[in-house]
Amino acid sequence: MGCCYSSETEGTEQSQETKPLIPHPNPESKPNNGTERNSANLPSARTDEQALLSSILTKTALNIIDVSAADSQGMEQHEYMDKARQYSTKLAVLSNSLSQKKPTALPSLTSQPHQVLASELVPYSDVQQVSKIAAYAYSAISQIKVDAKEELVVQFAIP
Amino acid sequence: MTTTALTQGLERIPDQVGYLVISEEGVLASAGELENDEHTAAVIMQMVQTACKFRLHGCAEPPFKRMSVMFDDHVYAVTVSGQKVFVVKRHNTQREPMQV
Repeated sequence: MGCCYSSETEGTEQSQETKPLIPHPNPESKPNNGTERNSANLPSARTDEQALLSSILTKTALNIIDVSAADSQGMEQHEYMDKARQYSTKLAVLSNSLSQKKPTALPSLTSQPHQVLASELVPYSDVQQVSKIAAYAYSAISQIKVDAKEELVVQFAIP
Repeated sequence: MTTTALTQGLERIPDQVGYLVISEEGVLASAGELENDEHTAAVIMQMVQTACKFRLHGCAEPPFKRMSVMFDDHVYAVTVSGQKVFVVKRHNTQREPMQV
């Protein structure tokens, strides 16, 4: 809500997982972080330079997540409590429908279990190959790391 | 199928040192090194349930007949038939093949 980018994408390609559990009560009241992004409302009197500046501001606003604006909504304590209650009610309903799902029945892999179990064991070379591939995969996964290039939160010089 | 009919074939498996027959409710039959081995039964049951979830692209059925849990000196061979899980513990006589 306090994030410029999230309000931009909202309602376009929301999958089931990212959809808010409780819809926003009045979406019109979202803060726009002090930036006027609706260029259609610009008065015609503005010069090209101003329009250019405004578009730069819009682009910048899209590229930052304003953490200071996250707190600016001024939610009262009872509103927090209300939200918490709403979420727990929603979650209770959802978890009820989840627990009703039974574990899937085992599929039949063969009609002749004794023959399948008595047949030749997996060749040693195959086991060796699987171990080698697993070791490579483990080594590859352990080398994945996040390479931090720049600061996540930057301070703007506000006079 | 009676319990005897279920286990008769298992007894004759070469190098077997024990077996388990498990249903969703619990252990139906057990013998040898796996006699009354509820712990192994529970572990194998979880493993086979997980393995049965694997699907190759475009296949409705699991793409395998047997799950082998390999150790240096023994192997657990596991399969599912008629809602029952069959587990046989067998000696692993295989060693590293001779380099010619």
